[in-house]
Amino acid sequence: MATTTITKTEKLVGKRIRRREDPRLITGTATYVDDIKMPGMLYAAILRSPHAAAKIRSIDISKAKALKGVHAVFVGEDTKNAGAVPCGASLPGLRVPHHNVLAIDRVYLVGHPVAVVVATDRYIARDGVELIEVDYEVENAVADPEKALAPGAHAVHPQWPDNVAFTFHQEGGDVTKAFAEADVIVKQRIVSQRLIPNSMETRGVVADWHAADRTMNLYTSTQAPHLVRSLVAQILGLEENRFRVVAPEVGGGFGAKIQTYAEEILLAWISMKLQKPVKWIESRRENFLCTIHGRGHVDFYEIAAKRDGTITGIKLKIIQDLGAYFTVLTPAIPTLSVLMMPGLYRTPSISADIVGAFTNCTPTDAYRGAGRPEATHGIERMVDMVAAELKMDPAEIRLKNFVRNEEFPFPTATGLVYDSGDYSAPLKKAMEMAGYDKLRKEQVEARKQGRYMGIGLCAYGEICAFGPSPATPAGGWESATVKIEPSGQVTVLTGISPHGQGEETTFAQIVGDELGVGIDDVLVVHGDTSMVPYGIGTFGSRSTAVGGTALYFALQDLKATIKKFGEMLLESDDVTFAGGQCTCNKSGKSIGVKGIAAAAYRAMKLPPNTGPGLVATHFWEPPNFTFPFGAHLVVTEVNGETGDVSIKRYIAIDDCGNILNPLIVDGQVHGGVAQGIGQALWEQAVYDDNGQLVTGEFMDYTMPRAHMMPWIESGHTITPTPVNPLGVKGVGEAGTIGASPAVVNSVVDALSPLGVRHLDMPLTPEKLWKLISAGRNA
Amino acid sequence: MKISGSYFLPLPPEQAYQRLQDSQVLAEAMPGCESLDKIGEDEYRMKMKMALASLSGNFDGKVRITEQSPPNSFKLMVEGSGKVGFMKGEGLLKFTPKDAGTEVSYEGDVQVGGTIAAVGQRLIDGTAKMMIKRFFDKVAA
Amino acid sequence: MIPQQFEYSAPKTLDEALGLLAEGARPLAGGMSLIPMMKLRLSNPEHLVDLGRIKDLSYIREQGTVIHIGATTTHHDVESSPLLRGKCPLLAETASHIGDVQVRNMGTIGGSVAHADPAADYPAALQALEAKIVLKGAKSERTVSAADFFVDTFTTALESGEIVREVIVPVDGSGTGTSYQKVLQPASGFAIVGIAVRVRKQGDKVAMARIGVTGLSNRAFRATAAEKALEGRSGSPAEIQAVAALVGQGVDANSDLHASADYRLHLASVYAAKALAVALGRIA
Repeated sequence: MATTTITKTEKLVGKRIRRREDPRLITGTATYVDDIKMPGMLYAAILRSPHAAAKIRSIDISKAKALKGVHAVFVGEDTKNAGAVPCGASLPGLRVPHHNVLAIDRVYLVGHPVAVVVATDRYIARDGVELIEVDYEVENAVADPEKALAPGAHAVHPQWPDNVAFTFHQEGGDVTKAFAEADVIVKQRIVSQRLIPNSMETRGVVADWHAADRTMNLYTSTQAPHLVRSLVAQILGLEENRFRVVAPEVGGGFGAKIQTYAEEILLAWISMKLQKPVKWIESRRENFLCTIHGRGHVDFYEIAAKRDGTITGIKLKIIQDLGAYFTVLTPAIPTLSVLMMPGLYRTPSISADIVGAFTNCTPTDAYRGAGRPEATHGIERMVDMVAAELKMDPAEIRLKNFVRNEEFPFPTATGLVYDSGDYSAPLKKAMEMAGYDKLRKEQVEARKQGRYMGIGLCAYGEICAFGPSPATPAGGWESATVKIEPSGQVTVLTGISPHGQGEETTFAQIVGDELGVGIDDVLVVHGDTSMVPYGIGTFGSRSTAVGGTALYFALQDLKATIKKFGEMLLESDDVTFAGGQCTCNKSGKSIGVKGIAAAAYRAMKLPPNTGPGLVATHFWEPPNFTFPFGAHLVVTEVNGETGDVSIKRYIAIDDCGNILNPLIVDGQVHGGVAQGIGQALWEQAVYDDNGQLVTGEFMDYTMPRAHMMPWIESGHTITPTPVNPLGVKGVGEAGTIGASPAVVNSVVDALSPLGVRHLDMPLTPEKLWKLISAGRNA
Repeated sequence: MKISGSYFLPLPPEQAYQRLQDSQVLAEAMPGCESLDKIGEDEYRMKMKMALASLSGNFDGKVRITEQSPPNSFKLMVEGSGKVGFMKGEGLLKFTPKDAGTEVSYEGDVQVGGTIAAVGQRLIDGTAKMMIKRFFDKVAA
Repeated sequence: MIPQQFEYSAPKTLDEALGLLAEGARPLAGGMSLIPMMKLRLSNPEHLVDLGRIKDLSYIREQGTVIHIGATTTHHDVESSPLLRGKCPLLAETASHIGDVQVRNMGTIGGSVAHADPAADYPAALQALEAKIVLKGAKSERTVSAADFFVDTFTTALESGEIVREVIVPVDGSGTGTSYQKVLQPASGFAIVGIAVRVRKQGDKVAMARIGVTGLSNRAFRATAAEKALEGRSGSPAEIQAVAALVGQGVDANSDLHASADYRLHLASVYAAKALAVALGRIA
């Protein structure tokens, strides 16, 4: 019997392995939507409203239609039968505005699609757009959620004059008693400003309809290809099995590509109408206006505590700026904030109210962290304020209130069950790395010299690995198929749809260890609904924790089959499969995966009750979310003359459970921290009173850049989750969630000698300078 | 965006008031104005060609004069829209005698929309000031 | 992000280019301002004349007491020129603050100067250097001072059909100290305020002070009141503070999302003090 095969004894999981996806990305050879070209392909360009609220009196498309090279021009009336952009979230009493793919008689936001021109090239399409004349009757707009809720505000949707899309209430414990018996109650209004997710690749769609066999191929830059397939097929009345969605290389998403967008429906509709492939690529300007925004919270917090610092209750009222319309998850996002509102603290009683407000702005939806950054920012600011009120150290109050190690699984007042944790460990580690006591002494010295030095802490928790299906709008499970090819090489088909998370590498590590094959013998395929089993997609830090677990279980099934073939081939019932080899424990004879694969497909002989081939598929339903946690510690100094903030030290300690690839985990933390610092210091979507987005380009919207980042000292504690056998919790959003409160707490601490107790983001130099000069003059 | 300022005209208030309502003067003074046609009582249709550095664009709009209280004050409204966006300016002009002339003070609001609003944010204030100054310089000439 | 159709010419000689410009074409230098505007269709020229292929329009040459810099000399060339770093360090330092590496590799001094963005970096330095700007048309050539060149927001002394042909800056020998200090608007990289200072001492007194300011108002200007206040003084820290406070005096400061007029004026004074202190400290 041949025994040469691929063997490997060194474990791959846990190693700092460079991403296998990177060579094609950094050499420019990856295929994005815009790289797709088809014979006869047409190009679409969209005319968008310059007004935030207006009636459309008339649209004249005659000049555009007459332009040489223009194949068609469509307006809202034409696309009436194309259905509406879907919202997947359901809440009691939710008012869902009908979201047409093109505006029909009114526009509700700047950027609202009004007409589409389809032409032989993108230049002509764009020229055509310029030739369309729209007569608008401009109305007043409302661009601020608090103003939208005020009496007499412009009604975003005339049928709902109060601009209220929904209200939501949740309670746990006895919050009335907690506040009645409190020694101290601290209140604060806290804003998590509107942000604009900007991935490197904007959105883009190619739709390719084949009428003869009723098949649709839709290439789109998405995080959830199967969701797009189900929704668009249903909306257009097409057969799901003949509808193929491909997410080719996707250049980032951050939550903004989970949604099914108007353009995906529109392009598919146009391709059917014109019987031609059609492409649309979103410009950066459109991306600012027409892809979802994130955050947009105005939160009113009240927190009840005992004199010793024990937190007994939290009341929270959230005003969520929803924008003019809903995308897939819009109204659901603030409910995640409610779930997360106690943070890592025992907090027996909570009460939460949400008011979802319509505004004449871009819809908000999931943006890296989606609801949890807002909640973490709120609770971590409030805890600091309680500590200040009680003259406690901010570390001490946190350590006092953390859920204790022996209390897991811990049921929260918001109805979650925290899986596992050692919440004080990351905070203590961060403080030790920073030399916390010494820093506090340095701060005393700095203050004597008139310098504004601050030390900010944040202990954050997350809800990750979305999620048990009952808790999600479209299922929370994930799928994986593993095939060992006749050659012995392994193909993984996964239902997740990574776009920068590196699962082509981490999944190959899992396979390598389970099957004892080298990483280069594993191919991970994703993002093509015609190739992979139905999947939910990549978002909510779920890919490895849920998709990786589905893969793990598929591998166990496959290993059982391999063993059966091993027993047959080695003619023994005492066989062990390890390190890529089936070994007979008696004779010591062995056969590798390659030999077994060859035998399984040649099928000269088969084990009992076993068919030919080596394929296994597993759909895994998680029993719970996972709850990663961690602590950030930030040292800042504010320049008293200019208000500039400089970050002197940034320490990020993360506990995401077991770590499959520390290099990728570090990358996730670094990128996340960059986005969190971005929110804390620079980023903000600013609308003027008329609903014009004045930060509508990179000229005014400050995306963090590499040179603006501090050195990040990162570290880990490891508390595996019992929720999945890999023990992994997820790390995609951790950095973002931890960063904004840590930075703001640090700057508030720096300015606390001036009586500052809270600051809303972004902490622009001018804002701080005004406070400092007022403090100096006082 | 709020705007306010003042400009000295070497004319008595009555004349200053008249001059600033004279459609011929307005047509010559409005930066970029190519034509100004009366379409109603104190209402004009205006065609403008704005050129500023590499930016250029044609605007179609209206000029309207309201709330007349000669020779003390009136309200001037200018609006225009084109492919690059739209703008709307509304200002209350007040005429106060000063040193054998008139101080014309203005206070109002400028709205800008479309692409120019999104990418020209840092320049809107300065540009508005420059346009207003050019306007008054021409009126005074 | 797709421009309108336009005609494109890339002549090899300046005369050819000026001929096309006289017919109404628009010049294209590094394209760092023009091309983004074209992509947004805020600018729709019918005919572009690319000056980048013209021979002998990119140079840095010393001639007696001045240095000539050709219009298509990139910011990177200015920033890294040993000649400028040695003999006109203020201009090289200012160039190093412009945009980012990509912008500095493409953008040109002639393009930047002709564009006259009120928050561009070069104009502050050119004011402080009392630079001369050579303007060339099809049938004319004239030289104007920086003080006369920068008229208003995006408005210069250039007549239609003319281009900036070169910029002439003085050789600053030993005894002169210079500094450019800038508050960066983090999104765009433009100056919220930029201060260029050039000072010379005789004995222990400041014999000459030139302060160029950009970003603060409608155009780059020289803060002459502050200059006068420093001349004849020793440049003590207290004097620097007092002089710096004069920089924004009487200026109608710009206001935008990133900085109100008050904050800009405050920053002008803080950064003027910084620039003055550094420049005085650099006098060899």
